[in-house]
Amino acid sequence: MSKTPADVSISPARKVFMSGASVVWIIPLVALIIALGVAWKSFNDRGPLISIEFSDGAGIKAGETELKYRDISVGKVEKVDFTANLARVLVHVRVDKQVAPFIDEGSVFWIVEPEVTAQGITGLSTVLSGVYIEGSWDTEIGNFAESFRGSDTTPLIRPGQSGLQIAFRSTANGQLTDNAPIMFRGIEVGRVGEAQISPQGNYAIVEGLIYEDHRNLVNTSTRFWDTSGFDVTIGPGGAEIDFSSLATLVGGGITFNTFVSGGERVQDGTIFEIFPDEETARNSVFSASAVDPLLISVIFEENVSGLAVGAPIELSGLKIGNVESLTGVVDYNVFGDSRVRLNATLSIQPARLGLPDEVSAETALAFLQNKVSSGLRARLASASLLTGGLKVELVEVEDAAEATMDVSQNGGLPVMPVTKSELSDAAATVEGVFSRINNLPIEELLNSAINLMNSAEALVRDEDLRETPGDVRQLLADLSGLLNSDDVQNVPVALNKTLVSIEGMVAELEEQRIAAKLGGALEAAEEAAKSVSSSVEGVPELVAQIEAVAAKASELELQELVDEVANLTRSAEAVIGTEDAVALPGALKGALDELNATLRELREGGAVENVNRTLASARNAADNIAVSAQDLPGLVERLAGVLTQASRTIKGYDKGDQLGRTAEETLRDIQKAADALAKLARTIERNPNSLLLGR
Amino acid sequence: MGLVACTRCTHAWPLGQERCTRCGHRLVSRDAMSLQRVWALWIMGLLCYVPANVYPMLRTRTLFTVEESTIIGGAVELAHHGSWGVATIILVASVLIPMAKFWAIAFLAVSVHKRSAASYHQRQLIYELVEYIGRWSMIDIFVVAILSSLVQLNSLAAINPGPASLFFALSVIFTMLSAQAFDSRMIWDVQSQDEEAEDNV
Repeated sequence: MSKTPADVSISPARKVFMSGASVVWIIPLVALIIALGVAWKSFNDRGPLISIEFSDGAGIKAGETELKYRDISVGKVEKVDFTANLARVLVHVRVDKQVAPFIDEGSVFWIVEPEVTAQGITGLSTVLSGVYIEGSWDTEIGNFAESFRGSDTTPLIRPGQSGLQIAFRSTANGQLTDNAPIMFRGIEVGRVGEAQISPQGNYAIVEGLIYEDHRNLVNTSTRFWDTSGFDVTIGPGGAEIDFSSLATLVGGGITFNTFVSGGERVQDGTIFEIFPDEETARNSVFSASAVDPLLISVIFEENVSGLAVGAPIELSGLKIGNVESLTGVVDYNVFGDSRVRLNATLSIQPARLGLPDEVSAETALAFLQNKVSSGLRARLASASLLTGGLKVELVEVEDAAEATMDVSQNGGLPVMPVTKSELSDAAATVEGVFSRINNLPIEELLNSAINLMNSAEALVRDEDLRETPGDVRQLLADLSGLLNSDDVQNVPVALNKTLVSIEGMVAELEEQRIAAKLGGALEAAEEAAKSVSSSVEGVPELVAQIEAVAAKASELELQELVDEVANLTRSAEAVIGTEDAVALPGALKGALDELNATLRELREGGAVENVNRTLASARNAADNIAVSAQDLPGLVERLAGVLTQASRTIKGYDKGDQLGRTAEETLRDIQKAADALAKLARTIERNPNSLLLGR
Repeated sequence: MGLVACTRCTHAWPLGQERCTRCGHRLVSRDAMSLQRVWALWIMGLLCYVPANVYPMLRTRTLFTVEESTIIGGAVELAHHGSWGVATIILVASVLIPMAKFWAIAFLAVSVHKRSAASYHQRQLIYELVEYIGRWSMIDIFVVAILSSLVQLNSLAAINPGPASLFFALSVIFTMLSAQAFDSRMIWDVQSQDEEAEDNV
């Protein structure tokens, strides 16, 4: 039996770590490494969380709604909750790490929803897919911001967007349409955003964007106007309806044109005015200066109506600007009471001030400030008495209280001190004019006028009136005939003859001392004279009547006048037609003839007895003649008066008429006759005895 | 003196021979690396199973919406719509069976070293069950593949496999490999050790 050596205790070599491990372990190891790598990468790639405030959720869902930038998803909403007081919705968005650095404080976010407007439908894809949040930021890396306030509307101008960014301001009483396209020759070249009212409420302002491609269309002399709605013009060419497109008809729009050349390139942020129509826009190019107007504010103590937007501002009668806007102002702290004051914003064109140096709003302000310190004040003045419109006058007031143009108050506009307005009287006058016009009995006046017309028509149709000229002509013809009649013509001759006879007779009488038959003769003469006087008696009546007519005529009562004229005519006719009147010259002649005969008889008879008595009688007779002749001047005067009246009346009828001329001639004849008569009367009056005594 | 069977061509050779002279396969009585491979692949399967459940399995895109559903989420949604049967099938095939497989493989691997309440025959049965059932787990992947290839209606609707499908497939593959790597002879080694111990006593 062989002995085997005892078992040697062999301790194996130290087991190398993992020597017994299978190669297969590499697989889970690699997998683990990959998993860890992926996990680390995804954790590393996880972008930051930002929170955006919105006024409402508008369909935002956590885990679904995306944040898009240029229509590419760059993040996802992780959580939606409320702000502390539930006032707004807080949306937490996990944004991609690559874009996160670009999201800085200038970023804007808004919710894209389907929207149907006059200009079209936008966001249609969101109808079914749900809303998404669109973000916009510029292309520069800025300080990362974590919380944002989302915009409720789609912002017009987005950060980093190219295009000409300008703003539009409405004119004094113009309008603005917001979210409207800017059209140029029918092509949309830009867009305006949401309009805002200025803090003082005197104009609206809206930001606009001219797309990059069309930037060159706008320069400093470009004028914009509103094309909303449509124009209806009715002219010789018929009626025209004018609107630029259906979209602008419904939704409004703005268009522009550059009427003159030479405009300069426009910088971002330029403010343009929007004019109500093309006409105004075109005119503004030529009327407005290139310099910005100086805006100053004036607070009037009086709160008067009548000052309107656009009212002129005058300096020494020269228009230097317009009233830009009007508001009321109540400020207890400044004025010490709560009364409403009239706050007018004046737009002054610096170019119209005639400044020597550089023309700008600043120099204009300096000029005005200087003038204010030497007493320039603003006041309201009447622009039109009829309409009661007011204007603003800048006047220099003597010994005015110290004042300066305050720039600090009233929203930064310089405030012009005021003086007492010059309008209380004017306003009262205007008011008076108005009340007087108001009180005018227009209705009654019209009724009266209608009545008058009716009366006038009736009057003109009146037979009497038609006959009047005929009557007058008749009368004048009669008068003319009367005056031209031999009898009347012969009166002076007869008188003369008589006087000659008397003279001769008296001479004879003196010679012969025979006056026996003189008494009888004188008696006859007396009788004759009496008959003369009695026959003349009818004349004053006629005269009186004519006078009355004249008086009435002067009272301008046409109807009555006409009646009276007719009456007068008839009366005159009647008077003239009376035996007396016809007989007057005859009787006079008769009397003279008788006298003549008597004298002749006297001369022939040679009777000179009782000559003294006779002489006395003769004196009496002479006296009588004188007395009767005394009426004569009166008669003549009246006749003259009547003639004047008559001539006036006739002139009134028709100046150039044949009748008028005839009448005038006749009247002149009458005048002459009357003058002759007057002369005779005067002679007789002066020395009645001369008639008898020849001295 | 023992014999060792070739695991490829099942020819028996005396213990100690390096290679099978019939097919050239390496002859080992017990694969010392077997358990390590089992565990390594098991861990891989489990690793892949996590994203398979976290990531969406299907991406359904209709006209305007994109819907992504995970395995469990899809089953729950189906259940909500009333399709309890389909939901149950999905849950069983995609969740219950893989989980059971993980448990079963881990149990078998652990029971090689430690005594177990389960008898050797039961363990052998579990092993065979795992081997058999492993391939059926791929049914989910088949459904996804079929849907993806059938529902491609351009813009109207489309179904695409999600990332989870890849991980799920990997998970299934790794668990199957893990099950195959298990040397079932080791189940019985424990029994023979037990018997030896009894004999020594």
